Amino acid sequence: MARESSPTLQRLVNWLKSWEGLLLGLLIVVLIINSSAVPAYLSVGNQVNLFILYIERIIIALMMTFVIINGEIDLSVASLMGLAAGTMARLYEVGVPSGLAVAAALGAGLVCGAFNGFWVAFVGLPSLVVTLAGLITYRGLVWVLVEDRSISNLPGWLNDLGQKPLVGPFPLALILFFVLAVVAFIVLQYSGFGRYVYVIGINRDVARYSGVDVRRVKMILFTASGFIAALSGVLYAARLGAMRSSTAEGFELDIITMVLLGGVSIFGGSGSLRGVLLSILIILNLRNGMGLAYLSANLQTGVIGLLLILSVLVPNLARSAQARLARRRLALRTMQPAEEV
Amino acid sequence: MRSLRRSIRPEQIRELILVLVILALVLFFGTQIRDYYSGRTFIRVSTSIAIIAVVAVGETLVFLTRNYDLSVGSIVGLTAFSVGTQLSYYHFIPPIGAVLMCVGLGALMGAFNGLLVAYGRVPSIIVTLGTMAIYRSLLVEYPGNKIVQFNALPGWLQEFSSVNVVKVGDFELRLIVAIALAVVIVFQLVLHFLPYGRRLYAVGSNPEAARVAGFPSQRIVFLAFVLSGALAGVAGFMFLGRFGNLTVVAAMGTELQAIAAVVVGGASTMGGSGTAFGSLLGASLIGLLDQSLRRWPVISEFWRDAVLGILILLAVAGDRAIIERLRTLWARSELQQRSVQSIVPRGDSVHGS
Amino acid sequence: MHAPVLELRNVSKRFDMTQALDDVSLTLYPGEIHALVGENGAGKSTLIKVATGVYQPDQGEIWVNGRRVQIRNSQEAQALGIAAIYQEPMIFPDLSVAENIFISHRDRGLLVNWRKMYEDAEAILAKLDVNLDVRVPARGLTLAAQQTVEIAKAISLDVRTLIMDEPTSSLSAHEVAQLFRLVSTLRNQGVAILFIGHRLEEVLGIADRVSVLRDGKLISSRPRSEVTIDQIIRDMVGRRIEEFFAKSTAQRGELLMSVRGLTKENVFSDISFDVYRGEVLGLAGLVGSRRTDVGLALFGVEPADAGQIIFEGREVRINSPQQALQMGIAYLTEDRRQYGLCMPLPIAANVTLPTLSNYLNGLGLIRSTAECADAEEFRQRLSIRAPSVQVEVANLSGGNQQKVVLSKWLNTKPKLLILDEPTRGIDVRTKAEVHHMINDLAAQGLGIILISSDLPEILAMSDRILVMREGRQMGVFTRQEATQEDIMAAAMGQEYKMAERQP
Repeated sequence: MARESSPTLQRLVNWLKSWEGLLLGLLIVVLIINSSAVPAYLSVGNQVNLFILYIERIIIALMMTFVIINGEIDLSVASLMGLAAGTMARLYEVGVPSGLAVAAALGAGLVCGAFNGFWVAFVGLPSLVVTLAGLITYRGLVWVLVEDRSISNLPGWLNDLGQKPLVGPFPLALILFFVLAVVAFIVLQYSGFGRYVYVIGINRDVARYSGVDVRRVKMILFTASGFIAALSGVLYAARLGAMRSSTAEGFELDIITMVLLGGVSIFGGSGSLRGVLLSILIILNLRNGMGLAYLSANLQTGVIGLLLILSVLVPNLARSAQARLARRRLALRTMQPAEEV
Repeated sequence: MRSLRRSIRPEQIRELILVLVILALVLFFGTQIRDYYSGRTFIRVSTSIAIIAVVAVGETLVFLTRNYDLSVGSIVGLTAFSVGTQLSYYHFIPPIGAVLMCVGLGALMGAFNGLLVAYGRVPSIIVTLGTMAIYRSLLVEYPGNKIVQFNALPGWLQEFSSVNVVKVGDFELRLIVAIALAVVIVFQLVLHFLPYGRRLYAVGSNPEAARVAGFPSQRIVFLAFVLSGALAGVAGFMFLGRFGNLTVVAAMGTELQAIAAVVVGGASTMGGSGTAFGSLLGASLIGLLDQSLRRWPVISEFWRDAVLGILILLAVAGDRAIIERLRTLWARSELQQRSVQSIVPRGDSVHGS
Repeated sequence: MHAPVLELRNVSKRFDMTQALDDVSLTLYPGEIHALVGENGAGKSTLIKVATGVYQPDQGEIWVNGRRVQIRNSQEAQALGIAAIYQEPMIFPDLSVAENIFISHRDRGLLVNWRKMYEDAEAILAKLDVNLDVRVPARGLTLAAQQTVEIAKAISLDVRTLIMDEPTSSLSAHEVAQLFRLVSTLRNQGVAILFIGHRLEEVLGIADRVSVLRDGKLISSRPRSEVTIDQIIRDMVGRRIEEFFAKSTAQRGELLMSVRGLTKENVFSDISFDVYRGEVLGLAGLVGSRRTDVGLALFGVEPADAGQIIFEGREVRINSPQQALQMGIAYLTEDRRQYGLCMPLPIAANVTLPTLSNYLNGLGLIRSTAECADAEEFRQRLSIRAPSVQVEVANLSGGNQQKVVLSKWLNTKPKLLILDEPTRGIDVRTKAEVHHMINDLAAQGLGIILISSDLPEILAMSDRILVMREGRQMGVFTRQEATQEDIMAAAMGQEYKMAERQP
């Protein structure tokens, strides 16, 4: 009966709410500190610049949210960014028309994503292992393609798209992000596919026993993840105007941190894009603030690593503290009658 | 069937396959690369295997408990770099002091990982992905020159990498390699004969049962991470001794080689199975390929990483295929056994009262 | 009589809203098999956990060998000579049989002496009169063999009190007999055994004393010689069993599904039956008879390897649940928590899950008004007690959750409905509602396959009854000719008045 609603679940719901509340609070604190240090910090121009610095990772984080809610993980995205950039740059270098080179790069992302998906969905290997192997393999392929050179001869139109504003102050990547964010939000919260993503993440068996094609959903997710990673890789190369074999190395750390800090459970089944967007804003502004405080980019990465751990550790500690408190309260309550006896 | 099940284990089958693959590769590269069967090649390959193997043994302990340690590459780098920096300043530090510094520092970083995984209940993939970045950034921020130079190191360390233990003709067994072999043997024995070793298997094999049986699972997992860190520290010392010249990217990617070695060597990603010896075999395959591809003129040396990734996938997928095949075999033989049993007349009444 | 080895005195334990144990006192004597029975949720599991130190009682005392003790964890329980064996054996699949027996020992030296361990393990198994290779990994063993390993482990620890939590629920009849022989051996060696069981015939066959728990209270505790099944059932349910609601004999419609020689290697073989519209086909058999596997094969979750299925006159192959759903087959699982419901999602999302494609607009978005309207209809029709269809199913009681699962499958408008233990673990009133529902559905022309361990239920609700044992079909009985004894005999595999086999 609904009246007997389990309080633990109620608490969990409240907790989820308060996690996003916590993020909001954190964001406000970061913003206040930063804007007190720098005038016009909150101006559109400044925030756009912030976004642009991490826009490729942010776009991938949108997709990664789906993957993690589904109960999987994709560690290979940063390598795929590199592979797409390398494919595009190398093909253009040897004289393939620029449009075709870009298409081939995106195609490579699709194929590699589908390759990951095949092993996870159809063979049933853990995605952690498959995409770890993917991380190594795809990065290895970039080395094969580009070796230890740097390619800066990219199509001119691509450089323009990557570096110049397209509409108002917004370059293509940012506009793409806005569009993808809206699409992702609608798909995850309101579409049948989004429902399947959650259901599989909550309980794969229930999904299978209800006639949901679990393998198809996972296959689509990994393929899409590969495609989005490739797209971001091309955008990244376009923005930088060059690429090397180590392009985008280690970006998976930023991306996964954005998703997990946003309150998405690493075990799947819960979380929302709202939280992820909040955590993206926090990470961007935090990084910027650290930059303002003259912390090196390297140290910033260390802090992101710490943030990743804390985003899982803090809820864990809070939960166990809550449980301990509840136990103590119960013990107190039950002690009294025992004394009466 | 029963005797087959009893005498041959899947682990032994795959270790045998690995040995055969390694032999085949040695033969193959012998036809491809000039002067392949030389003392120099042996030294190069064996020292390269040595470092991977030591890290891989530590990684095996973590794998047994159903966890991952992605931070070992950064631990190797940070210990090698920081101890190297100290040694370049203070030449009076004795060798044993340097080794202890490396091991202690590695164990400390491993303890941080273990604390978060075992007691903070944060999934190991998250913890070590984070600490991989944290330890690496500590390395970059390490005070002093951003580089360790071979010439600045004390003399004994400069000679360390060329110390021989045994020499047979052109083939020299370097001290580094001997240390690695000792580590493998010690941990093979630990895993096989110490109650702690057996409990590592138990905890990964069935965490729930380990909890019910009242094992100190948290302490067991914690210690696995500490040991993994300490061994990464040992590898850091070997790394420093072997290369001498270090930059801030020292040992980057070693974690991937170690994980590849462990997985190829037969450890399950679901915990509970794997041996130090298997990981040595895995490390041998990877070290051999790594060094041989550099000298194989047919394809670019840059194929090394791609091959590594594909090896991991093949090993995991192959395992899945083998294990499933063996399980059906087992189930069949079990069924036959049972039907034989049911012919036997039932014993006395089961109704005791 | 010896002195008691384990005594629980006035033990109470409360979780949030439920009083799991309420002033329970229980005494175990050496050399006695003490059976504990009760419906699901009666508090049996909590009692075990209190006795093994997993839970701490809120009130009451535990006495072991005449001393008052506190058991803080399973290690302390082990030190006091108390061990428990659960439904799912707690073995380590990667370790050998011998290691599984000795892994909890702390007094076997600093090094593992493998040869001695193998010898000791063999000695213990010999003492139990069990023939098992102690060197093979436990992974390959059958469930029964794994349980034997657990018993051997308990003996090696010199256990004085052995608690067995429904150890027979996944065993075949033959394995149960072996297990009982083992238990008797232990009893004769002076071990006190607390045996939790759900099959009364079985329990009464082995117990020296029977205690009944209901709603966390100890209702009765009597020597075996003084109890009858009827009495125990009365104690369990709290009143005389009423006559079951019986299915009205509906008009048998046309042939809906015809199955011939359905086989899945190592699971079941040569299953043949027909289902007609408007008919309930009961699938009876003890747990371990593989009834559920037949259901799963018909629904395509675990497809069969061989055999012919004709559905509505066409020969079909069912390889996935999607195919089964499309054809009009629905399968209600026996374990709604693991396979039936998405606990954190609202009722509406659960009800529409298999049919979600019917609720999508052109863009693939969910038409939530239509979704809620349909869910609301079921909420009223099945009187699901919840304020709205937006309530998460985790907040519902077991009976209401079962109604949600039922709604989910009725919403697929099935032609053939497979119900696997539809009334397990739900309250009596909901149970009656479900029975009425089955009757109505059959009357509307659905074909129904009812899988149930509850013999009276099967007898009352089915038109025909197929009995299985260890993956084989033992016979098909019509309702008129079937008696409880016939079915039980067939299910136990006894060559007793075997009914003619119907195609």
